Amino acid sequence: MGPPPHPACTIPPVTAPTTPLRTQLRFSDLVRSFGRLPVLQGVTGAVQDGEAMLVTGRNGSGKSTLLKCLAGLLAPDAGKIEHHEAGQTLEPWARRLAVGYVAPDLAFYEELTVWENLHFFARMRRVPTDRIAELLERVDLTPKRAAGALSSGMLQRLRWAWALLHSPRVLLLDEPFQNLDEPGRRTTRDLIEEHLEDGGVAVVANPRELELPHHEPKRLDLAG
Amino acid sequence: MSQSASIWLAEAVAVYLKEWRCELRTRYALNTLGLFAFTTLVVVSMSLGAEGVLAAGPSVLSVLLWILLLFAVTAGLPRGFVHEEETHTATALRLAATPSALFCGKLAYNASVVFLLQLLLTPLFLIMMQLSVEKPLLLIWTLLAGGYGLAAGGTLVAAIIAQARTAGTLFAVLALPVLLPLLVMAIELTEIAVLGKAGDMAMPRLLLYDGTVTVVSLMLFPAIWNP
Amino acid sequence: MKKLLAWILWLWIALMIVGAFAWAPLAQDFIGESSRILFFHVPMAWTAFVGFMAAGVWSARYLWFGRNVRHDQAAHTAVSLGLVFCVLATVSGAMWAKVMWGEYWNWDPRQLSIVMAMLFYMAYLTLRSAVADPQTGRRLAAAYALLGLAVAPFLFFVLPRMSGFTLHPEPVLNQSGKIEVEERMLTVLIAGAVGFTALFFWVHNLGRRLLSLSERAAARPIAGES
Repeated sequence: MGPPPHPACTIPPVTAPTTPLRTQLRFSDLVRSFGRLPVLQGVTGAVQDGEAMLVTGRNGSGKSTLLKCLAGLLAPDAGKIEHHEAGQTLEPWARRLAVGYVAPDLAFYEELTVWENLHFFARMRRVPTDRIAELLERVDLTPKRAAGALSSGMLQRLRWAWALLHSPRVLLLDEPFQNLDEPGRRTTRDLIEEHLEDGGVAVVANPRELELPHHEPKRLDLAG
Repeated sequence: MSQSASIWLAEAVAVYLKEWRCELRTRYALNTLGLFAFTTLVVVSMSLGAEGVLAAGPSVLSVLLWILLLFAVTAGLPRGFVHEEETHTATALRLAATPSALFCGKLAYNASVVFLLQLLLTPLFLIMMQLSVEKPLLLIWTLLAGGYGLAAGGTLVAAIIAQARTAGTLFAVLALPVLLPLLVMAIELTEIAVLGKAGDMAMPRLLLYDGTVTVVSLMLFPAIWNP
Repeated sequence: MKKLLAWILWLWIALMIVGAFAWAPLAQDFIGESSRILFFHVPMAWTAFVGFMAAGVWSARYLWFGRNVRHDQAAHTAVSLGLVFCVLATVSGAMWAKVMWGEYWNWDPRQLSIVMAMLFYMAYLTLRSAVADPQTGRRLAAAYALLGLAVAPFLFFVLPRMSGFTLHPEPVLNQSGKIEVEERMLTVLIAGAVGFTALFFWVHNLGRRLLSLSERAAARPIAGES
């Protein structure tokens, strides 16, 4: 045994980080009306680090409205939304840019091809172009077709590719399996599982049950 | 250039290129603005006839030129934002774009379209109206400064009305009060250029308007674009 | 307290009217008693301008300082009221122009400026009625009001000073500044400006509260929806 190490030379022991980098999305008492029609009347929930939430409710119960509020596309009339990522709380403008959003009304430029659309958004999000090729392969989409000529299933795959371009920590998915065939459903389910495994969070509005074998989703029912 | 500035510029350029790419595939704006302006020009020219043109004189003809440009802009410019909202591509843009970069990209595109229109229209106008210009360089500067002003005011108003119903007619209603000072100043400068008159403060005033509208638009656009 | 203020306001305006007709002298170079219209026309134009500014300030407060609905309601009311004063100023100006120069409309730059202000106001109100979602409507209207505010200096100050602006060049008297203002006339003018401004804000306060009540009533949820 040699001489004891000089205090200044001591390397502190490696311990597990006490505050791991967290991804957290919390919302409380969200209220949103459209003119005289109340849609959200005090909705509360939270997801963090690998959790998924399934939002259920009849048509018109506010599922899409809730997701739009969380994405920053709609401002709630009242209530709070907090989005924490990597130790930072994101302002509304930053939230918008940070989330991955899939929804039935998400549309792309019909005159441009799939690849051109994704390339445009990749430049906007400062994402390297090889990511596009990677994603297109994953969702099994041909790059050369004009977005206006896509079938509804292929359009849905494009939505997924677009949403994942910037590797978001928070996924907001409104009917994400719509129009997808069985292979498509499987792929996207795997994508969600991988995302959750990675520590990301997901809020999913789906008419049917969400089968995530490794990550049982929390539930938020908007009925009534 | 700092890193964030070059990223911002890259975004604005991306928007600019995307607008042109879409436009060249549909030719909507070029067709609409071009045909509109050209048709109006022909109508005016035919109605006035050779004598009418001479009787009108440079002052009235200067007014006519800018009215033509205004009409064309009203017909074709709003589409930039209105189309995005109508086809729901605005959702993706809201979630991916920095508002100021988006606005500048759209503004640059609209300004390019206006300049292109002016390039095609002005020589035709000068020929059909038998107008000779004393200070051609001043006319070019006026067209550039005035055209930019039309694009700047028009782009912001387009962003506003895109989220309203009856977007088409609403654009003219909202844009005219905003663009009127610009038009008056541009007409005055055009007259000065054509007749070779003096007018020292005219161009600085016009540039001041352009600057004001640009700065105010950049301040207002994020609040207009985002909820 | 409010009642006392209201009485003071009415008394002030009553005195101003009396002063305009009985106390202040007639201006030179004016036909008959027509110069008395100045004491009403100028304050009305001034108040229209104040309304414009107020709408801008409240719009800015709404847009950037809290999105408080009351500020938007204040801006909306200011525009509606400003429009009324604009119309009054234009009509009184036209009446005076007819007496002085024989024509209701003289292409005077100031006449045109006030008409452009009216167009702005009306465009603002048109915009408000054209947007489906109330929250979006407030935001867009506030932005437009601020755009109007930015362009206003060009309308009110730059344009009137330009030569060759009038399509029908006619030497027109500057309707407010260039007349030699005698002391009594100045007093009545200023009293008028103050009185009309106070009147504006008093009516504005009533109008805003009324708007707030009517918006709240209109927004009451549809009964029966769970």
